[in-house]
Amino acid sequence: MKCEHIGELLPDYLQGSLNAGEAGLVEQHLMECADCRDEVAIWKKLAILPMEQPSEASRERFEAMLHAYQTGRAEKSVAGFDAAHRASGWSFMNWLRSPVGAVAWSAALLVIGIFAGNYFSGTHSRSSDEIAAMRDELRSTRQLVVLSMLQQQSASERLQGVSFSQREGQLDPQVVSALVHTLRYDNSVDVRLAALDALSRHGSQPQVRKDVLDALQQQQSPLVQVALIDQMVEWRDPDASQRLKNFVQTPNLNPTVRQRADWAVSKLN
Amino acid sequence: MLEVRNGAGETLGVLFDRYHAPLYNFYAKLTGDRTLSEDLVQEVFLRILKYRQSYQPGTPFRAWIYQIARNARVDHYRKTPKHITFEPEMAPPVVPKDAALESEEAALLHQAMMHMPEEKREILILSRFQELKYEEIAKLLGCELGTVKTRIHRAIQELRLVFRQLESGMIAKNSDSGAAKFIPRRAGNEM
Repeated sequence: MKCEHIGELLPDYLQGSLNAGEAGLVEQHLMECADCRDEVAIWKKLAILPMEQPSEASRERFEAMLHAYQTGRAEKSVAGFDAAHRASGWSFMNWLRSPVGAVAWSAALLVIGIFAGNYFSGTHSRSSDEIAAMRDELRSTRQLVVLSMLQQQSASERLQGVSFSQREGQLDPQVVSALVHTLRYDNSVDVRLAALDALSRHGSQPQVRKDVLDALQQQQSPLVQVALIDQMVEWRDPDASQRLKNFVQTPNLNPTVRQRADWAVSKLN
Repeated sequence: MLEVRNGAGETLGVLFDRYHAPLYNFYAKLTGDRTLSEDLVQEVFLRILKYRQSYQPGTPFRAWIYQIARNARVDHYRKTPKHITFEPEMAPPVVPKDAALESEEAALLHQAMMHMPEEKREILILSRFQELKYEEIAKLLGCELGTVKTRIHRAIQELRLVFRQLESGMIAKNSDSGAAKFIPRRAGNEM
């Protein structure tokens, strides 16, 4: 058998995928032909080259890349996946509705939420088309960010959560509820004031007004009380005057707060 | 593999664990540049995330991932053209030399690999080190199975020639001093 014929068989021989007969032919040729034998020897010799190993930092870089991608994924998923959905005919929505899909998607959103902080604090330029396409996606993501951030241990993170909520034109009822809870119960006066500020932008929603007005009675901090009173004056809610009259009756009220409440009642009447 | 296609990016970690070392080895052996190889591996995983919908279920995942790897390298060289006429040593001075390359034979073999045209080096790496089946390589390179085998055989033939020439001193060895330290690289598209 000539070298060129062996050449056709050699790659399969090297992978051990020849049948016994063909392998025998090759081996017989190799015994006779030094060049072909040397080719096999070289192939085997390649084993002495070490496997190149990536550095330790490789995994960290990957994690960072993944986080960066997931932070930015919300912006692309709407457009990207609509196109893919149409092209493949594959129903992502069905998958999403399945328990596995729901869990995976929730996990994805959670991760997006956690890392969206960095993203949203940066400035990005995008085409208006993209912005339109991603709006809904961003909205739900932000809501999740707000909800998760408001539960953080650190006041500064909760403040960040409050400030995130201000990016939405329309507050989701869940976010309103979380902000009201924060306004009432947050340990930090700063966070409560920020929550009030965030809610004050949504005074056109009757429920938001009612919730804010309700919060006055439980409020202990004079700073927040004054801010709430001022907000009531600004909104000129029909209920406000009566509520303030009741509020002034509260025992041990801070004199400054009482003075402010009296002033507010006179303004509202 | 379906998990990746279906959008759960979190599962990418599993793929990373499985593929990042082989991909790094592929790039390092192909380019001889460790830093670039690290960068390209990261790029591959970013592309897997971005283009995960492009994976066709039922097709070899390895062919798909190496296709991404090849494209990433091609795109890199498109952006940063190779101006190298001299191939740098695999191990730059700051990096300790690999123990295995300490042996002269391994060093020569490595040098012989780097001396080959890139296409031949690539197909050798894919078949010998990345353990891709010839069918997978055929799919990856977009050619017939027979063509893959022919190319592999030619690559082995060339490697043997270069290696023996290096061994006999017909081509200057990297370990030789002075001007012979670098060997001119052949044009990449010879085949």
